[in-house]
Amino acid sequence: MSGWEIFTWVNAWILGCGAVIVFVWFLIDLPGLLPGAERKPRTSEDGEG
Amino acid sequence: MLALLALGGIADSMVEIGILDWSIIAIYLTGMVTVGALLARRHADFDDFFLAGRALTTPILITTLISTYYGIDVLFGSSQLAYTDGVVAWFGYARPTYLFFLIAAFVVARRLRHEDFRSLPEILERYYGGGTRNVGALASFLYSLPALSLYGFGLLAELLLGWPPLVGMAVLGGVALAYTLTGGFWAVALTDSIQFLMMCVILAIAVPYGLQVVGGFDSLFEHLEPYYFDQMGDLSVLLVIAYAATGLTVLIEPTFYQRIFAARSYHNVRNALLAGIVLWGAYDWTVTIVGMMARTAAIQGAIDPGIAPDASLMAMMTVALPAGMLGFFIAGVLATEMSTLDSYCLVAGGNVAYDLYKPILKPDASDADLIRATRLGVLLSWVIGFAMAASFDQMLGLWVFMASILMSTLLVPILLGLYVPACRRPLAGLISSVSGLTSTALINAIIVLGGRYVDEEETFVFQLDLWGGSYEILQEYAMFFTVPLSALGFVLGLAIDRRRRG
Repeated sequence: MSGWEIFTWVNAWILGCGAVIVFVWFLIDLPGLLPGAERKPRTSEDGEG
Repeated sequence: MLALLALGGIADSMVEIGILDWSIIAIYLTGMVTVGALLARRHADFDDFFLAGRALTTPILITTLISTYYGIDVLFGSSQLAYTDGVVAWFGYARPTYLFFLIAAFVVARRLRHEDFRSLPEILERYYGGGTRNVGALASFLYSLPALSLYGFGLLAELLLGWPPLVGMAVLGGVALAYTLTGGFWAVALTDSIQFLMMCVILAIAVPYGLQVVGGFDSLFEHLEPYYFDQMGDLSVLLVIAYAATGLTVLIEPTFYQRIFAARSYHNVRNALLAGIVLWGAYDWTVTIVGMMARTAAIQGAIDPGIAPDASLMAMMTVALPAGMLGFFIAGVLATEMSTLDSYCLVAGGNVAYDLYKPILKPDASDADLIRATRLGVLLSWVIGFAMAASFDQMLGLWVFMASILMSTLLVPILLGLYVPACRRPLAGLISSVSGLTSTALINAIIVLGGRYVDEEETFVFQLDLWGGSYEILQEYAMFFTVPLSALGFVLGLAIDRRRRG
């Protein structure tokens, strides 16, 4: 298996699995995101200011 | 951004779609409108409608950044370059932009969050006053008009669904308009997340199916010329620099800024951009390899050898993907462009409401007034974009013009205002933005009206005879004159300001 082929498979897995992982992460976050939901107050740890 | 525009030449290669594929496409389109309808009455104030209550966290920022910034231009443009030139599509064209995303993640986003802005023109107002804000809002509005996306929908509808282009523009663009009008940025961000999943997963799945068609990866080495695997191909250094320079737009992109303003915190933006760079890289590489697979398939006769290079990815997918999966692919392609169109329409609407209507016509506008004005602005931008897409033949030239306006009007005053406090002089910002805007209009008019359209270059070329020499000025070169003119205007403004103050 050449370096090009390995690079291709690594990228295809990153793209496919990465998208699914990010989407699941988004779904977990969703209930706290929607308008009207209780949100955590921002803190200095959020990097503001 | 540009290569999709030749897609018109491939409209005769319509795709066969089965009932299962149609069902998937119909479910997708209905789902998008439903999201907008569900979020229609949930906006507490203007921040909620335009910036999703500034509550976006890392995962939704990743999905909305990736799906907005990558449209069918990348899908078909990068695969076109890979089809004709190979891996240079990734190394020479895509890779340099990741550097600008890194700069945006660590430098620009931090500064923007620190100042707590709502829109890009508001930055100009704070540093230079209302006049510069108006010029900036006009430039941002013009840049955000969805003409190119609607034109793309017309072509896709004709190619994929067999609809007349105007019907495709109206129906597919109308779906994106409907959920953007009703649901605002919440609907845009939530639909972006579904669209992100579809566009990424279907592309990843295409790799094994594509390899199956061409007979494995080794087949690429057997059939493609060695230069297909040369990282810089036969591109000149100057052209690589020119490609890299296009990444500069990231630093002043209105939809990108909107997502920074809508984030819950700077850390969320930074983390989303870092994760996004990895996914952008994987997406670009996969598009590149599918383009090269298509070239191999064309040589083998598995797809039409005479196919237009920018249609190669589509042809490869239709050959490789089984029934049902093809429906997901088509929905994924529509999703790719819908996620771009909705975001630009909303930014244009915000420019009308928050940056022009409120400061000029109604300073005491309530949140309800602003939401109403934003919706009208969204509608206005869609209608103008539709008229442009239906009227102009040279959409590539139009896009170059719109991108030039953004860069020439905003790059200098925005970056100097953000990072050099001594430069925050009203006259400097005003002269810079006005000179950038007017010189862009003037130089583009000279090139388009005084030059000729050259098919091989896919652009307008103006022949300049000067001091015994003859030079070809492409429309894309306008920025090489207008951005320096904007910088010169800024320096002039600073000098006048200094003299006035004694």
